Amino acid sequence: MKNLKIVLVDDEKEFVMTLAERLQLRGIQTRATTDGEYALQLIEADPPQVVILDVMMPGLGGLEVLKLIKAQYPQIQVILLTGYGSTKEGITGMHLGAFDYMMKPVSIEELIEKIEEAIDSQP
Amino acid sequence: MTVNHSFFPEQGERMKRWEEKEVKFFGKITAGFTHELKNVLAIIRESSGLMEDIISISPEAIILYQDKIQKSLDRIKNQIIRGVELTDRLNRFAHSTDENIAKIDLPEFIEQFIALSQRFARLKNVALITVPAEQPDQSITIVSRLIQLQMALYTGVECCLNTMPAGGEIRIGLKQSKEKVAVQVLCKGDLPEESEFIHNISASEKWQDLQEISAGLGGSVEVDESAHGIVLFLPDEIGP
Repeated sequence: MKNLKIVLVDDEKEFVMTLAERLQLRGIQTRATTDGEYALQLIEADPPQVVILDVMMPGLGGLEVLKLIKAQYPQIQVILLTGYGSTKEGITGMHLGAFDYMMKPVSIEELIEKIEEAIDSQP
Repeated sequence: MTVNHSFFPEQGERMKRWEEKEVKFFGKITAGFTHELKNVLAIIRESSGLMEDIISISPEAIILYQDKIQKSLDRIKNQIIRGVELTDRLNRFAHSTDENIAKIDLPEFIEQFIALSQRFARLKNVALITVPAEQPDQSITIVSRLIQLQMALYTGVECCLNTMPAGGEIRIGLKQSKEKVAVQVLCKGDLPEESEFIHNISASEKWQDLQEISAGLGGSVEVDESAHGIVLFLPDEIGP
């Protein structure tokens, strides 16, 4: 997991900050934000290998952010996080180029496994 | 509840359509709440996980990271309070099906309604707030159908959300006249011209739904052009 850079986007501030701290404790360089538009700025400033993205967000929603990421940075792997009780958004996201989707609350071990899988299958 | 739709086929079809809409409304609100509850659980999980991470580094780390542990404990405490409130609201919403017609304390109803619908407005970057009552201690009660009343107000809010830009607010307030009560749903923010606003609201499919639900409650609905909003007129007591 050395030199691994990720961007974490979720509108629940406390969730995103705590998860970022936990990933950082595991040596993963994590930048976190609650805002889809700001996430795009973070990506532009220093493109990460993986973006973890909440689907349901106010303003620019997760699927919109996903489309914009994939249009400009097709090599970045996007993992969608959703608390929505349906797989519909996750499947739509995969059609739009997301690597996979996971239902919240997700365990950090499962998330890290998914990040590793995403890195291994990076185009 | 079993309804015989066979006597008047046209009316039966209409009732069936409305029952389906009621179930969808119930599902939508409940799904929104479960999303919020999942967020609460996710924060509790990550906060306790962070404490575990720190403790597993070494026993000395507990003292070194005392601030982080305290912050995580505070987060857990706050999310438990949030979770309890959400569960309480969801429980009250589920119980709104207990009686078909009930006595409703409107200020309390509006407070509960705002808690139920806040999330949907927030996703559109719109704040949902209560207009303080002119006489705060005055109780305004009506006898009506609780589920349909919630649907009416929710549909009114949806009409506004579909018409107004992000960053605004929707204010919900009450006015009482002799035999009727008026529930106002007013839009504030960077709104279109009055004529465009009225056209947008009354042209939407939700507006037709709102008119039908209001009629079903023995009331009516109007667009208040000068106040940029919708007014729902309700009788003191719904007929049989």
